[in-house]
Amino acid sequence: MKRREFFKTAAVSAGAAALGTTTAEAGVTHQPVDNRKISDVAFPEKRPLITYSDRPPLLETPREVFTCALTPNDQFFVRWHMPDIPTYIDTDKFTININGLVKKELKITLKELKEDFEQVEVAAVLQCGGNSRSAFEPTAGGIQWGSGAMGCALWKGVRLRDILDRAGIKKGAEWLAVQGSEKAAYYETPNFIRELHLDELDDHVIIAYQMNGEDLPYLNGFPVRLVIPGVYSDSWIKMITNITVTDKYKKLFFMDHAYVVPDNECECETPEKKFPKTKPIYRMNVKSIIGYPSNGAKLTLKSQAVVRGVAFDGGAGIREVQISLDGGKTWDKAILDSGKLGRYAYRTFRYGFKPSKLGKLEIMAKAINKLGEEQPLAKDIKWNHGGYKYNGIDVVTVEVV
Amino acid sequence: MKVMKKVLLTTLIAATPMMAQVKEKIEVPYIAFPIKMGKGFDVVQANCLMCHSFGYIINQGRQSKKFWAGKVDKMIVHFKAPITDKDRKVIIDYLYEHYGNGKEQ
Repeated sequence: MKRREFFKTAAVSAGAAALGTTTAEAGVTHQPVDNRKISDVAFPEKRPLITYSDRPPLLETPREVFTCALTPNDQFFVRWHMPDIPTYIDTDKFTININGLVKKELKITLKELKEDFEQVEVAAVLQCGGNSRSAFEPTAGGIQWGSGAMGCALWKGVRLRDILDRAGIKKGAEWLAVQGSEKAAYYETPNFIRELHLDELDDHVIIAYQMNGEDLPYLNGFPVRLVIPGVYSDSWIKMITNITVTDKYKKLFFMDHAYVVPDNECECETPEKKFPKTKPIYRMNVKSIIGYPSNGAKLTLKSQAVVRGVAFDGGAGIREVQISLDGGKTWDKAILDSGKLGRYAYRTFRYGFKPSKLGKLEIMAKAINKLGEEQPLAKDIKWNHGGYKYNGIDVVTVEVV
Repeated sequence: MKVMKKVLLTTLIAATPMMAQVKEKIEVPYIAFPIKMGKGFDVVQANCLMCHSFGYIINQGRQSKKFWAGKVDKMIVHFKAPITDKDRKVIIDYLYEHYGNGKEQ
């Protein structure tokens, strides 16, 4: 880790020096925007959430929800890319089509999906790669999310591997192209397709029709979506209609141009000089969010306060969450939940303390995963033009009264 | 007896597994984002609104002319929006006029 940190710093300083720019011009990072106003308008099956757009719908979960291991369906964030989302699905006629390099093409109805295959469940975090993008300065293009473009649910469905086995994969097949139902306004606009290598399909990759014991909410991809635990949400295709098995990888806009980070050690670059080589964002890094208290909350002097939040990573699992009340000088272990939801889910944490001094108090939370990777300070996160993969130590400022 | 029958029927309906919480067409609400009026707005409306709400514009905050030009070009190059050269310029000027930060770069 230390060595890696050194190279991160070295690479950025070098970049800035070569360009003759200051650090500020090289791009800086701070805490994401917090406490944006919750809309007074509710979307279908949702409570009112932080609303960035109605078409396509972009809804963010407020911080206060991140004290629970499972995010309620009606508070789960929403992100679509195209203006045209089918507003009606005939569940009797809907099929998932499997074609391409298969021995037998399949059209699987929802009934068949639920009855003809082994049903499995996985608890997993779904997070947009651009979650917390508002932390980046200068502004990285894209939705300026706070920290709530994420959620964790218990997903139920069928292993994608089982479905492909039923179809029978032909020799030479290597890739899968998974397509959802959202449509652009123009034919020429690239479709939202995710390509997966067949080797990526472990037993946890499922086509899910249920979320936290209910049908998927419409805006979260009803009736079925791809679940790839540990991986950013651009890969979790919603409203899946078609899966094509191919032998070649096709360069696609969303995977190869939009959702990418610089392909270097620090995954960083300067606003002035984009790193020429990029790679798709993929496995999530270690992160935690304080759900309670929120910024601006008032805590009473010498009364028992409990900090609560959630921590997760790309599947290695959370080892520890630490809390600092002195600006990061000293850190103390928070209590983690049992972890029974598995390594892809949120670990909730709690930390009790008695505020001992009147006035402003900064509460910081830092997660460390089982590989020893830990969250950096916000200011140590390196800038990238897409504003992806922010995982800075979360800080909330409260007032002790 | 009649009452019993009615109760039974109600119970049956309640117990029928619902295929979906949403059985009809969903209605996504319309949100009137407070977009600024001004020269070029008609062109912005005609081009940008085809694919996304004004929420996308407002959410970016105040930005440089270069930033806005980059955004419009992204729509043309990557999303294949059929924006003419003339409209491109009008849109960038509008965005910079109303959502600019005073910096060219």
